[in-house]
Amino acid sequence: MYSKAKLAMALFIASEASFFALLIVAYVFYHGQPQNGPNAADSLDIPTTTFYSLCLFSSSATLWLSERNLRRGQYDRVIAWLVATIGLGAIFLYGQGREYLRLFHNDVTISRNLFGTTFFTLTGFHGLHVLVGLCALAVVAGLVLRGLVRERQAEAVEAVGMYWHFVDAVWVVIFGIVYLGSLV
Amino acid sequence: MTTHPTRTALRLLFDFVGAIEVFNLSSIDTLNPVSPQAAAITRLFLGVLVILAVIFVLVSGLVVYAIVRYRERPGSSMPRQLAGSRKLEFLWTAVPIGLLATVFVFTAKTMRAANPKKGTRPADLLVVGHQWWWEVKYLKSGVITANEIHLPVGKAVLIQLEAADVIHDFWVPQLGRKIDAIPGHTNYLWLRADRPGVYSGICAEFCGTEHAWMRFEVVVQSPEEFTAWEQAQLKIPQPPSEPEALAGMKLFNELTCVNCHRLAGTRANQTAGPDLTHLAQRRMLAGGAAVNNPQTLAEWLKDPDRIKPGSNMPNFHLSDAQVRALVAYLETTK
Amino acid sequence: MKGHEFTEGIAGLVGERERVGWFSHEGLLGWVASVDHKQVGLMYIVAAFVFFGLGGIEALLMRIQLAVPNNHFLSPETFNALFTMHGTTMIFFVAMPLLTGFTVYLVPLMIGARDVAFPRLNAMSFWLTLFAGLMLYFSFFAGGAPSAGWFSYTPLSEAAFSLRSGQDYWILSLIVAGIGTVAGAINIIVTVVTLRAEGMTMKRLPLFVWMNFVNAFLMLFALPVLNAALVMLLIDRQLHAHFFTPASGGSALLWQHYFWAFGHPEVYIVILPAFGMISEIIPVFSRKPIFGYEFVAASTVAIAFLSFTVWAHHMFAVGLGHIANLFFAVASMSIAVPTGVKIFNWTATMYGGQLRFTTAMKFAVAFIVMFTIGGLSGVSFAVVPIDWQLTDTYYLVAHMHYVLFGGTVLASFAGIYYWFPKFSGRLLSERLGSWHFWLTFVGLNLTFFIQHILGMMGMPRRVFTYPALPYWAAFNMLSTIGAFVLLIAMLVFLYNVVMSLRYGETAGDNPWDAWTLEWATTSPPPVENFVRIPPIHGRRPLWDLAHPELADELGKVDA
Ligand code: HEA
Ligand code: HEA
Ligand code: HEC
Ligand code: CUA
Ligand SMILES: [Cu+2]
Repeated sequence: MYSKAKLAMALFIASEASFFALLIVAYVFYHGQPQNGPNAADSLDIPTTTFYSLCLFSSSATLWLSERNLRRGQYDRVIAWLVATIGLGAIFLYGQGREYLRLFHNDVTISRNLFGTTFFTLTGFHGLHVLVGLCALAVVAGLVLRGLVRERQAEAVEAVGMYWHFVDAVWVVIFGIVYLGSLV
Repeated sequence: MTTHPTRTALRLLFDFVGAIEVFNLSSIDTLNPVSPQAAAITRLFLGVLVILAVIFVLVSGLVVYAIVRYRERPGSSMPRQLAGSRKLEFLWTAVPIGLLATVFVFTAKTMRAANPKKGTRPADLLVVGHQWWWEVKYLKSGVITANEIHLPVGKAVLIQLEAADVIHDFWVPQLGRKIDAIPGHTNYLWLRADRPGVYSGICAEFCGTEHAWMRFEVVVQSPEEFTAWEQAQLKIPQPPSEPEALAGMKLFNELTCVNCHRLAGTRANQTAGPDLTHLAQRRMLAGGAAVNNPQTLAEWLKDPDRIKPGSNMPNFHLSDAQVRALVAYLETTK
Repeated sequence: MKGHEFTEGIAGLVGERERVGWFSHEGLLGWVASVDHKQVGLMYIVAAFVFFGLGGIEALLMRIQLAVPNNHFLSPETFNALFTMHGTTMIFFVAMPLLTGFTVYLVPLMIGARDVAFPRLNAMSFWLTLFAGLMLYFSFFAGGAPSAGWFSYTPLSEAAFSLRSGQDYWILSLIVAGIGTVAGAINIIVTVVTLRAEGMTMKRLPLFVWMNFVNAFLMLFALPVLNAALVMLLIDRQLHAHFFTPASGGSALLWQHYFWAFGHPEVYIVILPAFGMISEIIPVFSRKPIFGYEFVAASTVAIAFLSFTVWAHHMFAVGLGHIANLFFAVASMSIAVPTGVKIFNWTATMYGGQLRFTTAMKFAVAFIVMFTIGGLSGVSFAVVPIDWQLTDTYYLVAHMHYVLFGGTVLASFAGIYYWFPKFSGRLLSERLGSWHFWLTFVGLNLTFFIQHILGMMGMPRRVFTYPALPYWAAFNMLSTIGAFVLLIAMLVFLYNVVMSLRYGETAGDNPWDAWTLEWATTSPPPVENFVRIPPIHGRRPLWDLAHPELADELGKVDA
């Protein structure tokens, strides 16, 4: 039988993918056009962001470990890995915040030019999703801690996990297009 | 005199058909093309209409037949529980595909006829859509005017279409396709008219408050008349001699008119508003909101909102004397 | 699982006492707090009709203004606000919630479920929609309604040209409604996938369920597209970004691509459930199974896929290249084929049947013919050069009202007359229904047919007035008269509903001798929906019970 929660999450992710696709299209479309002012190549700090991105990517792995332990019923490990996941996600957000501040300092803003407009909109919405994911993970961690989640509710937790993996996957695309794309 | 009912009926029928005829010829612009491009579309349209009409008659015929034939009648037994037929499904999938393929072939052909390639030829005419008027520039002769395009009969003219603020759309139904005037994106359009006359055009893309009064006219003339018009447009108006008009000219230069308009021979050289150099020769005012004559012009200057509420021409609260002077001046700039 | 079944049965019996109908014992608060899919469904329908009244009044005001040339009844600003609000209201707050109301009421019943998969989410979807509608209308009091048209082309809808905050309310309202719609779509898909009763296989789903299932996928993918575009527009307006501002390098056309990538699926979102209703009603009143079940279902899937490939047919006048235009022409024409398959199958269902012309059936049959007119004029737009002439004219206004009014609205009325007894326990008056039907039929054609000709004569849409050209005044006057005939029709309907709720004949469980599961329970159904679900061995469970000897002739459908 299908799990309602996971099916619903899969559908929700599909709709979110549709949403991000448009933001990405807008970025790519304007990236291909000549424009004045700052652009990806001269504004972005790729090495630093690579580091923070790796944190986000590895958070998918820690989450996976947490889920595995949930199915095995090893709750202390579940929590440990969840905390690791949340930590890595938070580091990523911290990195994004720093990058934003640096860009603002260089007068790269959402209203400066089309690079700013598309860059901040795209990465900003992604960051928002990371934040929501962190909150959801924190709730899950709290529930596990208080012993409210056991194998049987693993599906609800897995649904949150799907969301987190999706948010990660979106960053793979964004990082590839916005950051690595600026190299070519 | 006694009239036979048949004859009366026939006469009525004739009148009716006659009315249709007259109606057809005079009023349905898109069915009365005066350019080869428009004619190509009209032919296609009529052809497609016939196909669609046949389909409609077929569908509604089938429905009406079913309504009449299969209405429930007392005492009839349960109908057969027929749940489908692959043959029929095939039929009504294949036939429409065939019809549409045919329509498609004609579509592709007509697209080329109705919108010929521009090639590398430079444009003859620059038309810029503004909130709520059309700027017109003859790129070769340098004539500038507004809301009125003159064309020599039978000659194909290439228009370069731009927009100054929002999206507008250039459409002269009897001369063919419409095409958008888009800020930051240039479009080209062939315009040609095979019969002298005045053809009305309009902005067909919603562009804000006064979209309804963004009309224009295409005046199609014999080549001689056209050349004469062009020469007249190129003339720089001389300062008037009559005192009231002279006062008007002074006012025009002192008031802010010069910040928005262009009037050859004065320091007014802006494009925020229509060119006024030969305003008095134009047929209409403010994108068709009024016919152009001294009375309406006076009304316009007194309070543009009364003629075209929301237009971008400010109300200067001019005194009647000032208005009279300005009108007298603008009327001399023929 | 036995114990589970037992408790469900008990709950069903208890539910028997408190039926969920128009008059709930719990009063207003009961409605507001309700998460029952039937109550939520009815709230959707009622809200949609209230908005229909508002949108209709806006239409009437426009028609009064247009009745005579050079009219000064409305200012241009007011007129522009009216058609913007009319279009937005009718699409987002009438057509969508009306159909969604039917969907959330009927889908669980038709598949033999107790409720939707996530009842609270379902209620939330409704409240978001209602809140969004109220927010849209609040703009009237907050500095003026939006006036850039229902598709708000940029840069006209940007801060530089639309100063009023109404434009921001418009954006926020549609974002909120869009979130509600996506949530609703997820709910329907999960419901259909996980909650079907024993024996209700996908191949036995009523077509209404099929079409809503497919439609949910359309919503799932289309609404986020709109929301992304709206968010960008809002960021432009509020944070001075440049997505769609040509003055600072943005593209005026990107918005159009985005909007129609949503907008075209959207027009099918507001017709597929209507197709579903027609697919239920025509067979019941023909006393035959639907003709070509698989083809009607499969054509829905085809339409859904195609609908994402045709968006630029709204942009033929933009000056895209011939190649692009040809692609979108082919795609648009292709949609006529699966739609035609439906039309022909509905017609074929009537053949050899015993047609009972109840009001529901009258509306359903009128739907076939009226929708065909609208569909055919749609095809004429897919023929690019014809679109070049007729886009943005009254010919287009005629097209969309034939599909939206002649399609969605007629089908919804058919649905109301058909399911009202289930909703309320009482039948609507057939005599008033007949008046309602004929007035609607005449009014609709009077209002909108003549607009085809006006468009061909060169009358653009969205003009607050027009010069006194030959015949323009007469034709516009006819159209206005038609709109008032429609007003009378709607008042008759309103009267019918009010009177029938109080004095209507009691319906019984299955007044039409229909065969889908919603008729296997009481009218209105108990909170738990079913006391007992009949065995499901085919597509028509109740028919199989009543006429075991008369099976579908393509062999008993089994899967
Ligand atoms: C319920 C809503 C609905 C539906 C179902 C449709 C259905 C169709 N529409 Fe329509 N459309 C709108 C609502 C709808 N439309 C709206 C609201 C607009 C305007 C938006 C705006 O600008 O404000 C619009 C605008 C619109 C345009 C853009 C016009 C323009 O802006 O210039 C086009 C262009 O191709 C188009 C085409 C079609 C086609 C091909 C179909 C097809 O799906 C129709 C298919 C049906 C049939 C064809 C009839 C039955 C078929 C047969 C009997 C088989 C045989 C037929 C043939 C062989 C032809 N529509
Ligand atoms: C479902 C969709 C739908 C429906 C049903 C209608 C219904 C009607 N429409 Fe609408 N229309 C659109 C969708 C719809 N429209 C859209 C999308 C546009 C484009 C907007 C744009 O350009 O941006 C449009 C544009 C549009 C125009 C073009 C405006 C312009 O371009 O300038 C016109 C003009 O005649 C018009 C007229 C009408 C009329 C007379 C009706 C009539 O059928 C209305 C009949 C209804 C009533 C008369 C209501 C009466 C009921 C009551 C009074 C009861 C009240 C009480 C309660 C229940 C609370 N519409
Ligand atoms: C702020 C800019 C502005 C100023 C200042 C201004 N105008 Fe205008 N004027 C316009 C615009 C814009 C239009 C076009 C209005 C429309 O049709 O929507 C216009 C239209 C006109 C027209 C009608 C032209 C036509 O072809 O329809 C006349 C005449 C005119 N202005 C005269 C004047 C005079 C005289 C003055 C000074 C007293 C003046 N204008 C000052 C902006 C301006
Ligand atoms: Cu310019 Cu409409
Ligand atoms: Cu479309």
